[in-house]
Amino acid sequence: MADRAPQDAGKVVINAVALLLVLSYALPYVYLVSTALKPAVDVQQIPPSFFPNRVSFENFGTVIGTAGLPQAFMNSAIVAILTTLLSLVIAVPAAYVSALYRRRITILFLLFALITRMVPAVSLGVPLFQILKSLGLLDTTIGLVLAHTSTAVPLALLLMAAFFEGMPKELEEAARIDGCSRFGAFWRIMLPLAPGGLAVTALFSFIASWNEFLFALLLTSQNSKTAPIFIAEFNSVYGLAWGPMTAAAVLYSLPVILVTLVLQRQIVGGLTFGAVKG
Amino acid sequence: MTERRFVLLMLLPAVLFLGFMVAYPVALLVYNSFFDVKLIDPASRVWVGLANYAEVLTSKRILESAIRTLKYSAFALFFELVFGFGAALLFSAIAKHSHWHRTIFALPLMISPIVAGLLWRFLLVGNIGILNYGLAALGVISDPGAIKWLSDTDIVIYSVAVADIWLTTSFVALVSYAGLMNIPKDLFEAARIDGASAIKRFWYVTLPMMRPVLAVVVIVRGIDALKTFDLIWIQTQGGPRQASEVLSMNIYQRMVRYGDLGQASASATLFLAFMIALAGLAYWKIWRTDRG
Repeated sequence: MADRAPQDAGKVVINAVALLLVLSYALPYVYLVSTALKPAVDVQQIPPSFFPNRVSFENFGTVIGTAGLPQAFMNSAIVAILTTLLSLVIAVPAAYVSALYRRRITILFLLFALITRMVPAVSLGVPLFQILKSLGLLDTTIGLVLAHTSTAVPLALLLMAAFFEGMPKELEEAARIDGCSRFGAFWRIMLPLAPGGLAVTALFSFIASWNEFLFALLLTSQNSKTAPIFIAEFNSVYGLAWGPMTAAAVLYSLPVILVTLVLQRQIVGGLTFGAVKG
Repeated sequence: MTERRFVLLMLLPAVLFLGFMVAYPVALLVYNSFFDVKLIDPASRVWVGLANYAEVLTSKRILESAIRTLKYSAFALFFELVFGFGAALLFSAIAKHSHWHRTIFALPLMISPIVAGLLWRFLLVGNIGILNYGLAALGVISDPGAIKWLSDTDIVIYSVAVADIWLTTSFVALVSYAGLMNIPKDLFEAARIDGASAIKRFWYVTLPMMRPVLAVVVIVRGIDALKTFDLIWIQTQGGPRQASEVLSMNIYQRMVRYGDLGQASASATLFLAFMIALAGLAYWKIWRTDRG
């Protein structure tokens, strides 16, 4: 810590550069929000202005009034919630034994989970289309939830396994000596001690599903169309209706940004985990 | 219950699910790739052996989209690393005061690629794209119509990568920052006492210590970039005239637009094999250097 030599002037410059960098990094998104808040006629004016001359919620009104959009947001939320629940139910027990009972089968299993993360979505989507079609699950909520869960499970597995690895194994042994069954030790002792890990994993699964595009594009058409598909189609059906489109994009992304703001530490921690583990 | 049975029971749901939703589809994908089979009627199929593969490997359009995918990924990855690592170094130089900087930088972390693509399309689009007006006002380009980011077939594949760079620089920056913070301070101290200059300390301490972190970032981001679909789709749908069509998109088009399940499966199988080989190679390399 002896590095704090009197280089205050240098520090000020570095601070200023860093601030400038960060602000210019945020500019594109600020412009998206500012465009959404312009009156509809001003959105496509030439030359464009960065800030609205007058704040108006006209674009938001148009978007919310568009037939199908509330439904698409609803579909997105339902699919994301179900995906999160299903992937936790499937991944958490497997992650638990993979972390605490290290043997050849669990190592092989983790390796398999790692490999599934490399599978390009399109390579999975092509056969899934055929499978879901034969099961009559094309364009249904359940079909899309299954598809999203197939990518969420490996992620949840690796995150939760890393989390369980950080817990003392002695705790499980102590619970067993006190008369818990193996499952009891997992369900009543270890799992209640892992709300942080569960929350981060749930959050990642939820957002991954909320943001997902290719499966939704391939596997849904009318009934279970999700928000990103709706926004993308807005684009082609209405030509260059930038006003409502920017408003829809803000509605779609702002909740995610707010969550990121509140849970920044946990999210960065989870991403670093994810990056290091897989 | 024996330990063995407990382990197997706990693994069972995940094994069954991944078996049915990942292993089985992949098997079906490979199986389909040996048939002439159409999307509308997958039941009637004709065995064609390796004919689909032969066609895929000799198709100019597929080859071009594969090369384009590599160009896109290399371009995006390079700038994400330079900007992300640069920002991380800057933040670590003002360590304690960088909290707000990092907070703002974290905001795009979880944004959907669809939003990033839409946003940058709006910034770059002809006539009303504000970026060109900004560049013209600064005197970088002569008039706001000078660069046709998304309609010039020579540059469009790089233009669409800008959204990717914007979206993921924050990930690279924050992961690198975490890595930088984990380097033991006494290493720098020792190097300083030995008379190493700031540049030498960076070259001989920071970089070698950051190697594993950077390697992981390159793998994770590289794989994501090679798989990109949505971010480009929302900006150009692969156009103009397929000039921004990457491999994922080519496979999607082959299946949905032309309904050719067999050929789409053959190229998707090759794509999958390539990704797994690449990831395996990368992990093996890191694993070896970690222990070597």
